[in-house]
Amino acid sequence: MELKSFNLLIVGMGGQGVIRAVQILAWAALLDNYKVRTAETHGMAQRGGSVSSFLRFGNEVEGPLIPSGNSQVIIALEASEAIRNFRYANSKTIFLINNKIIVPPSVHLMNIDYPELDSIKNFLQQISSNVFLINGHEEAIKVGDIRTLNVYMLGVLAGSERLPIKQEILENSIRRFIPKKAQTVNKIAFQNGLEKGKKIKEEIL
Amino acid sequence: MSVPHFAVSSPGSHVILLGNEAIARGILEAGVIIGAGYPGTPSSEILSTLAEIYPYFSHLKIEWSVNEKVAFEVAYGGSMSNVRSVVCMKHVGVNVASDAFMTASYAGARGGMVLVSADDPNCYSSQNEQDNRYFGLQALVPVFEPSNPQEAKDMIKYAFDFSENFQSIVLFRTTTRLNHGRGDVVLGDIEEIKRDYGFDWDRSRWVCLPSHSRVLRLRLLEKIKEISEFANRFPYNTLKISKKKIKGPRIGFVSAGVPYAHLIDALNYFGVKEEVSILKLGMVYPPPRELIKKLFSSVDKILVVEELEPFIENMLKQIAYDEGLSKEIEIHGKDIFPQNGEFSAELYLENVAHLMDLEYDSIPVPDKLIITPPRLPILCPGCSHRASFYAIKQVEKKLKTKFVNSSDIGCYTLAVYKPLEGLDTEICMGGSIGLANGISKIQPKENPVLAILGDSTFFHSGIPALINAVYNQNNILVMILDNRSTSMTGFQNNPGTGIKITKELGKKVSIEDLVQGCGVSPENIWIEDSNNLPKMIEKLEEAVKAEGVRVFISRHTCSLLELNEYKSKQITPPIVKVDPEKCKGCLICINKFGCPSIIFNEDEKKAIIDQESCSGCKVCIDICIHNAIYEEEE
Repeated sequence: MELKSFNLLIVGMGGQGVIRAVQILAWAALLDNYKVRTAETHGMAQRGGSVSSFLRFGNEVEGPLIPSGNSQVIIALEASEAIRNFRYANSKTIFLINNKIIVPPSVHLMNIDYPELDSIKNFLQQISSNVFLINGHEEAIKVGDIRTLNVYMLGVLAGSERLPIKQEILENSIRRFIPKKAQTVNKIAFQNGLEKGKKIKEEIL
Repeated sequence: MSVPHFAVSSPGSHVILLGNEAIARGILEAGVIIGAGYPGTPSSEILSTLAEIYPYFSHLKIEWSVNEKVAFEVAYGGSMSNVRSVVCMKHVGVNVASDAFMTASYAGARGGMVLVSADDPNCYSSQNEQDNRYFGLQALVPVFEPSNPQEAKDMIKYAFDFSENFQSIVLFRTTTRLNHGRGDVVLGDIEEIKRDYGFDWDRSRWVCLPSHSRVLRLRLLEKIKEISEFANRFPYNTLKISKKKIKGPRIGFVSAGVPYAHLIDALNYFGVKEEVSILKLGMVYPPPRELIKKLFSSVDKILVVEELEPFIENMLKQIAYDEGLSKEIEIHGKDIFPQNGEFSAELYLENVAHLMDLEYDSIPVPDKLIITPPRLPILCPGCSHRASFYAIKQVEKKLKTKFVNSSDIGCYTLAVYKPLEGLDTEICMGGSIGLANGISKIQPKENPVLAILGDSTFFHSGIPALINAVYNQNNILVMILDNRSTSMTGFQNNPGTGIKITKELGKKVSIEDLVQGCGVSPENIWIEDSNNLPKMIEKLEEAVKAEGVRVFISRHTCSLLELNEYKSKQITPPIVKVDPEKCKGCLICINKFGCPSIIFNEDEKKAIIDQESCSGCKVCIDICIHNAIYEEEE
């Protein structure tokens, strides 16, 4: 409870469940007795645009925005979105990146290159040594519902033990926000994520 | 039954609410009866939340009005009838409502009346970033500004008491970060207001003709003076004078709204909060003169932290001048913080560090940057607007000319981007037709003038401009893209669907009847299915070539709503595929049409259709000149 502030950023594309993931974490943080703030993108950004959502909790948080270099964790549901938001990271930031790239249609039109997974990883490693590419997309499809990607990634985060929220509280919150008929599949996704996170935990510097 | 909305939880509950949900809860707690508005980012979720909780609180009389001016008048009619009333809109909506607002402020509020304005620093989803605090100054109406969701809930509840005490409308100014940020909120009691409701026949008050308005204006000036005195005791204005002795000049900050929250974060970051004096304004107009004088006497240097215009800064400078202190006290604001955009969190750190001579190093940027092309917002897969603009382009090509495509506010504005590049103007709601009226007076006949706007925008403010074209015989083609929804702001219903905000049945207003009623001759009205491309091109050509005021209604339900309909009826949408044998890799479907579901397989040099996102609109079947795209039969 002596936590001053914990800053986390989730990024991705419209429809990937970025905002829902932050909602789940925000409610969990409140259940764990923290003061909570989030900021999110609505409107135009939903039309295939980039979506980023800030989460801050702790005893000393007032505003929802995170200063550059001050995000402890950055979760990217789409890999190239991590690059767009690199300035929020510092040398200790943990990047949890779904290894799927979705190329915007404008790239074809303008005939330009789009970054690939290797270059994304190399670039981010210049900032932090804790860059983890995770096959979340495949894992979500494997359990039978691509929409479980966000919950899988929350599982990875919880497994890495870098989230100062009790795991059972996080699981409660997931149940609060996931529709009844999707509970079982999300539970499995979370468990799978947890396992993956435990492996990552050993590698965090 | 899904889990009930957090906003209906019982008093004392500690929940997470979006700023707009917190405002909705505050409205509910205040015992408000009438709520009206017009959808507009970032304000829309206030009324949507009230609509969502309506099944639990059916005393609410809420509506999406046809535009912001009407919405304001609906709420003001409520206030005249002694019920608490609220009207919600985005910042530019207040421009539309201002005709009513500027005179309503003279007569003031009877039942508590609050106008919520959602401003948008950085134009996240707006055509400008105007600062609506000036509307308060202009109307002589107090302006409240909350800094977090808890305060938003508490302050709007309080605003209704305040409004009744002073018989004044309250302008409740918010910004995107507040509207679309979440925070923890402790809920309060829901007030039950017991009083006689109904209109009062006070003509000297409600009939604002000159002889009455002169008197009302004098009373209004008295009222704002009273409020000005009260500002020093206003519960959400707080002054904290630092008792700590520090080296160098004594520093004070003045701030309000979301910038206040980030300022506190910055002061905490450096651990200097106790070393500075802070005046926090919950009411940014009128200013609390006594508190400000007290601050002046306690510090040497002041930094005003506010986004957009130097609203507070100028008031402070004026007071310093009045008090003869303009030489003694240094007041900073827009010389340090920019006058445009939203402030990033690090900007507060940099400027606090700079002002207080603290050490702050920004994070170094890696040497080798990778360019990530922007993900521009685009029309959705299967969007009928794409088909409409594609048809316009085809007719333009066929007639070997260039149209002037005067356009408007809505999803279809996204057709400005490649590959459609289908519109040439966008200023304000309904502006497409108004501008076309003027452009058509000048433009030679070889460049037909089109006014392109959506269904909701047409209802909002397109109608008077259409009548104007008919009356003055301005030669234009109005194209109404009727997708049966106000999609950009969250798929709200509008008069064209006849379904009310509460999902109850209202009455449908027919666009074609309306257009005829405006005086457009029946032979100058076309109605086509936007997704029937060959027919669209044929008929649009006819319409472009015809004379006089013409209206072309291009109609197809919003593809996202159509997908939902399919889902609820358990129908599989059409499956559309590319025959790789026939595809020549010509890229027309990608580089000219640009549906995001059509992707190019670089290895095979063939187009493929992403089945996950394809809506099955089938328009691309007609686009392909090699007949390579087909609908798969089940």
